[in-house]
Amino acid sequence: VEFEFLLNDVMQKISLEKKEGFYVFFDGQKTYKADIQHISPHQISILIDDVSYRVYIAKDKESRYFLIDGQVFFVKEPTEEAEGFHKEEERTAEGTLLIKAPMPGKVIKICVSEKDEVRKNQTLAIVEAMKMENEIKAPKDGTIKDIHVSAGDLVDSEMPLIELEP
Amino acid sequence: MFKKILIANRGEIAVRIIKACQEMGISTVAVFSDADRLSLHVQIADEAIGIGPPPAVESYLDMDRIIQAAQKTGAEAIHPGYGFLAENAAFARRCEKERIVFIGPNSDALELVGDKVRSRQTMEKVDIPIIPGMKGIVKDISAIKIEARKIGYPVMIKASAGGGGKGMRVVFDEKELIPSLEAGMREAKSAFGDESVYLEKYIEDPRHVEFQVLADNHGHVVHLFERECSIQRRHQKIVEETPSQALDPELRARMGETARKVMQVSRYNNAGTVEFLLDKDKNFYFLEVNARLQVEHPVTELTTGTDLVHHQIKIATGEKLPFKQEDLEQKGHAIECRIYAEDPHNNFLPSSGKILYFKEPQGPGVRHDCGIYSGWDVPIYYDPILAKLIVWAENRETACQRMIKALDDYVILGVKTNIRFLRDLIGHPQFRKGETTTSFIQDHFADWTGEKDSEKMQTLALLAAAFDSMQEISSGRGSSTAKKEAYSPWLSIGKWRLGGK
Repeated sequence: VEFEFLLNDVMQKISLEKKEGFYVFFDGQKTYKADIQHISPHQISILIDDVSYRVYIAKDKESRYFLIDGQVFFVKEPTEEAEGFHKEEERTAEGTLLIKAPMPGKVIKICVSEKDEVRKNQTLAIVEAMKMENEIKAPKDGTIKDIHVSAGDLVDSEMPLIELEP
Repeated sequence: MFKKILIANRGEIAVRIIKACQEMGISTVAVFSDADRLSLHVQIADEAIGIGPPPAVESYLDMDRIIQAAQKTGAEAIHPGYGFLAENAAFARRCEKERIVFIGPNSDALELVGDKVRSRQTMEKVDIPIIPGMKGIVKDISAIKIEARKIGYPVMIKASAGGGGKGMRVVFDEKELIPSLEAGMREAKSAFGDESVYLEKYIEDPRHVEFQVLADNHGHVVHLFERECSIQRRHQKIVEETPSQALDPELRARMGETARKVMQVSRYNNAGTVEFLLDKDKNFYFLEVNARLQVEHPVTELTTGTDLVHHQIKIATGEKLPFKQEDLEQKGHAIECRIYAEDPHNNFLPSSGKILYFKEPQGPGVRHDCGIYSGWDVPIYYDPILAKLIVWAENRETACQRMIKALDDYVILGVKTNIRFLRDLIGHPQFRKGETTTSFIQDHFADWTGEKDSEKMQTLALLAAAFDSMQEISSGRGSSTAKKEAYSPWLSIGKWRLGGK
C-alpha cells in the first residue's frame, strides 16, 4: 500500500506491506524488512536489521506527531490546500498582504493607522501572550490598508490583524 | 506545625509546594482560575478553591479572593510560590493583619528589598558594591533623558516591582529610550500590577551569580552557596547550575558573606536569594534580592542535600535553623533546564494547545518538577514554563552528559517546546567549557535552526505514520489516507544505511 504524507510540510511517500508477520517497506530506492509493534497507544517499537528504534506517537484532529531520537515530526494527510500552502505570507483577493496573529493573545497596542506608509520590519502591533510582549512587524514596505483589531482585543492564532498593501 | 496551608500559585511550583506539604503531613488548599480548573495542582491538592477568571489580575493577583479562600478553608498559612503575589509587601501585610502566616519574609523586609531603589540605597550605605544607576524610579518621562545621559549608555530599564525579565529593556541610544520605557512600563504593569521602572548602567557580558540564603526568625542567617544563571534569553533564565565555574573558594566565601550581610541589613527572614553581577575582572555588584523561593532552587537542594520548601515552612512556624554556616557544603554538580512551551524555530513565540502525550525522563540523578500531564491544555494566560528538568552528578561534565541524555529522553507531543534548543545549548563546546555569560545565547545561538532532520529519521517517521494508518484501516477506524498506485514519481528521501544507528 502506498501512502502519501506531508512530513514537516513536505510531501513524502512510502509504500508498506504486511508479509508473514513482518512489514516490508520501500522508501523510493530500496526495500527493507521491518518488525513493527505497537507497545501502547503512544509507543511503537521498530526493529530493522536488528537495530531498535523507539517511536512515540500522538494525534489530534489534523496531525500526527512523532518523536524519534529526540526529533519531533509532524505528519499531515495531504490536501489540495496544503500542497499550495505558502507559509510566509497570505494575500487577499485584492492583492494585499494579510498579517495574522502568530499566537493567541491580547492586542496591547496598534502602532499604525490606516493609510500609514510603513517600512519592512517596522512594528505594526504588539500582542501579549503568556505575559510577554511580542512585536508584530511588517513583512514588507507598504501602506496600511485595513486594521481589523484594536487594543484590548483578544485574538486567536491566525486571526487577521492588519492588511498591508505592498 | 501548620495543619493546613494554602498555595497561592499554579503550575509546577504549586505542585512542588503541595508535595512538600504532603510529605510533612500538612493538608493543602489549591487555588485556581477558570483556565486552570483541570491543572495538575488542583488535582493533587486536598482542597481546591476557584478564585476567578483567567487573567491573573482577576484571580492569582486578587488578594481579597485569596484571603477569602484561606479563611473559608481554615488555612493557617499561605505559600505564595514565585511570581504573582510572592513579593508583594501589601499582600504579606494583609496576611499579617488577617492572622494568616505568609510563608516568606516579613512585610517590612519585603517592602525594603522589593523596592529596588531603596534597597540599593540601603546597601550602598553599608558598603555593599552596587551598579551605578538612578537614585529613584522614573516619575517624569521628560527628565529621564538627562538621567540616562548621566549614567551613560547603554542603560538598562528595570521594573521596580519584579524580576524574571518582565519589564526589562536594554537601551543603547537615546532614540530607543522613550519607546523602550513605555513598553517596559506596560509589561511591568501587566506582570506585577505596578508600572514603576528605574534605570541603571548596563554591564556588558557579565555573569549572573546568585546566592541562596535561609534566615530564621531568630536572627540566624546562612547561605547555601551560589547558582550561576547566566544562560538567559530576553533576560529570562533558562539554564541554571551550581557550582559556578567562575568562582574559586575565596571569591565564593566573600560573595557568600556579602549575601548574608545583605539579608542581615534588610532584617530578612525565610528563604531568599541575593543576586549579583560578576564582571570579566571578577568584580561583583549587588543587583537585588529575590524575596521568594526561586524557580531554580532545586539545583541548590541537590548539591547541599536540603529541602528549601521544608525549611521555608519550618522557619515560618518559628523553628530555628538546624544548621550553621560551617555545617553546609556543596557536593557534586547540578544543572537545571527550564522547559517552556515555545517555538524555538519561530522566534520563541509561546505555544499553547493540548499536550497530546507526555513522558518524563527518569534515571539516577534526574529530577523533574512539573505541572503538566498528557491531555492537558496549556493556557495562554500565564508564563509558558511547563516543567523543570534537573540533574545531579559527581562533576560538571557528567552532569552535562546526564542532562543531554535526559533531554533526549523527554517526550512532549502536541505543543512546541524548547527541548531541542536546550539540548544543543548544553552540548555546545563553550557551555561545556563553562564559558557562560549573559550574552551566551546571543553570541552562539542567535541563528540557531537546529540540526536538520536526518533522512533516516524522516524515513522512520514515514514508516511509523504508514504503519499507524494501516492499523487504523484494519481496525476499521478508517482513514482518509490517500492510497494510490505506485507509479507516481518518487520523491527521493535518500539512502538508508543498513545497520548503522
